[in-house]
Amino acid sequence: MNIFSSVFKRPVCKTASHADDAFEQIGLQTKKEISRVFGRSLAIREVDCGSDNAAEIELGNLSAPHYDIERFGVTFVASPRHADLLAVTGVVTHAMATVLKKTYEATPDPKFVIAIGDDACTGGIYLGTYAVIGPVEEVIPVDLKILGNPPRPVEILSGILSLMRSAGKPKFMDGGPDYD
Amino acid sequence: MMTLNSEKDNISGLPDSWLIQKDRTACYYHVPADQFTGIVTTLKALESRLVSIIGEEGFYVPDLCSISYVFELLDTPRYLVLVLTCPEPESITGLFPAASFFERKISDGFGVRFSGSGDERRLFLHEPYPEGFHPMKKGYVNTPVVAAGTPCPFPFREMKGESVYHIPVGPVHAGIIEPGHFRFSVIGETIMNLEVRLGYLHRGIEKLMEGKDPDEGVTLAESISGDESAVNACGYALAVEQICMITVPERAEYIRGIILELERSYSLVSDLAGMVTDIGFPVAASRLLVLREELQRACDSLTGSRFLKGIIRIGGVSRDFSSDSLLILDSLAEETGKRLEEIVSWISSVPSVIDRFSTTGVIRETLIDPLALSGPVARASGRVLDVRVDHPYGIYRDQIISPVSERAGDVLARFNLKSEEILVSLNFIRQLVSGIPTGPVRCAIAMHDGFALAGIESPRGRTIHYVRIRDSRIERYFVATASFSNWQAIEHAVMGNIVPDFPLINKSLNLSYSGTDV
Repeated sequence: MNIFSSVFKRPVCKTASHADDAFEQIGLQTKKEISRVFGRSLAIREVDCGSDNAAEIELGNLSAPHYDIERFGVTFVASPRHADLLAVTGVVTHAMATVLKKTYEATPDPKFVIAIGDDACTGGIYLGTYAVIGPVEEVIPVDLKILGNPPRPVEILSGILSLMRSAGKPKFMDGGPDYD
Repeated sequence: MMTLNSEKDNISGLPDSWLIQKDRTACYYHVPADQFTGIVTTLKALESRLVSIIGEEGFYVPDLCSISYVFELLDTPRYLVLVLTCPEPESITGLFPAASFFERKISDGFGVRFSGSGDERRLFLHEPYPEGFHPMKKGYVNTPVVAAGTPCPFPFREMKGESVYHIPVGPVHAGIIEPGHFRFSVIGETIMNLEVRLGYLHRGIEKLMEGKDPDEGVTLAESISGDESAVNACGYALAVEQICMITVPERAEYIRGIILELERSYSLVSDLAGMVTDIGFPVAASRLLVLREELQRACDSLTGSRFLKGIIRIGGVSRDFSSDSLLILDSLAEETGKRLEEIVSWISSVPSVIDRFSTTGVIRETLIDPLALSGPVARASGRVLDVRVDHPYGIYRDQIISPVSERAGDVLARFNLKSEEILVSLNFIRQLVSGIPTGPVRCAIAMHDGFALAGIESPRGRTIHYVRIRDSRIERYFVATASFSNWQAIEHAVMGNIVPDFPLINKSLNLSYSGTDV
């Protein structure tokens, strides 16, 4: 390839036609709040405890091109050992209760838990039946609930923003390194 | 031995005195226990397929659990249902291996033992449930359960021997997916055996449905599997509508058809994206995910839900589509089809894609009948099975959809098949939009007692819903989604493949965990 063609080639990136101003604003504010609380980025581990998979699809969509939330410092990680936040979906079934507890214990402090979707927040239609323990907070402490069947991607990001806003100056940084 | 013939739309050979009910979708026969094995052997010889096995207390004899075996006969639109009432039925896994999962489900639910069954382990009841716990019995009142004190570990089938090692994976996986456990037995990098253990998402939907108002049950049916919300709601509604002799208005049938094909399109587009993601080709995945998001946004603007929840109701649909929104949908379908063709032909021109997809995760055609496989899994292995064509319902009675098929049965075949199916669905949406009649979208409903079966083609294949209504309430509900049987295919598809190809093979099938565990 001619070196000049590399230099003069037009950029591959172009502005998306679907840019959503409200989502961008929430994203930029989230990025600012994450920097304040965690220094740089927020690592999320997702745990499905009894969801119908719709909430998982929306969480996955957050990484797709229309949303691309990695731009705002939010990443999904493969292990609870790498996570700052557990995103728990679904009503907690008997088979998943112990698994959820172990995942919570494997997540290093400081950590946050958000419950995503009506069933995770309240137990929803399954409350009081043989197959479930109940909402997520019956099994592990929950910091924030995001209602919806399932919540839309923008609602999930708004939830993360409000959690970061309320997080205050993290206790783990007392006497630690100062990132400001 | 008795002779059975399946003629067009009629099943002869079984005595009329055994006939319990003959309706639009199925013929139900009560079979004496001593003749059951003979009849099932004949059905096997006639190349009939076992579709489902349903347990129900009080179907024929009060307080006794009857077992209904649902068969699909060659070229016969009606299903054949054999109802057996017997305290310890004989297992039919020797003739129909697909029976194993169904028999285990009935054993868990009702405490029925199948004699001669090769596998008596629990299926959806995990360790926390106490011994002797059978939630589907009528006498059991649905209340919270206290977990068993000393649970016994689940005995996995594992290979033993020198240099064999095991890889346990899950239930919490690395990606954002549903929980399930995979136990691999491996030599070097080659998978010698895989056992899939599911049931982590068992929410007791079948039991929870009992006693509900039939209209209220639609919401529960929608919760079976998130990206199959509309098709499960529709399958459930079809069964209730048949019991109550409801004829859905024509315009509502068209809207249902549009919704079902829209759901198939967005589900299958994400399957394609998943496959290219798992071979490390995110640029291609991103382009497909753009299409998927646009389809989901179309779902949202048409129905108010990105997952098409709340639109299907008994007797029709909950809202009408304006002619403007249908025009927008038509151009979206056209545009999406063009862009998809362009993306797929680009992906197919990349040699490393073909290298990873071709000959990976082969499902042989000979597995389709024994394991009751259906949907894209069967069609990619050379068998054109499609409920929309074989047992037409709703709009598919009038508007013909032509299914596509592939022969090789590998990941590449499933990739090509699914991309073709999206194009067929998008064209079908356009066909429906152009022919949609005017009129009401929902009719008045009056409840009747009775029972009915409904088969419906979900994005993942054949789904069976069975409903019995007594005193205007749901008395028994049963669902077997396509994933329930199709999960067994993966244990065969991975044999001889290397561990790093497992995620790709899994994605090429993209089965539902919640739809299996219900």
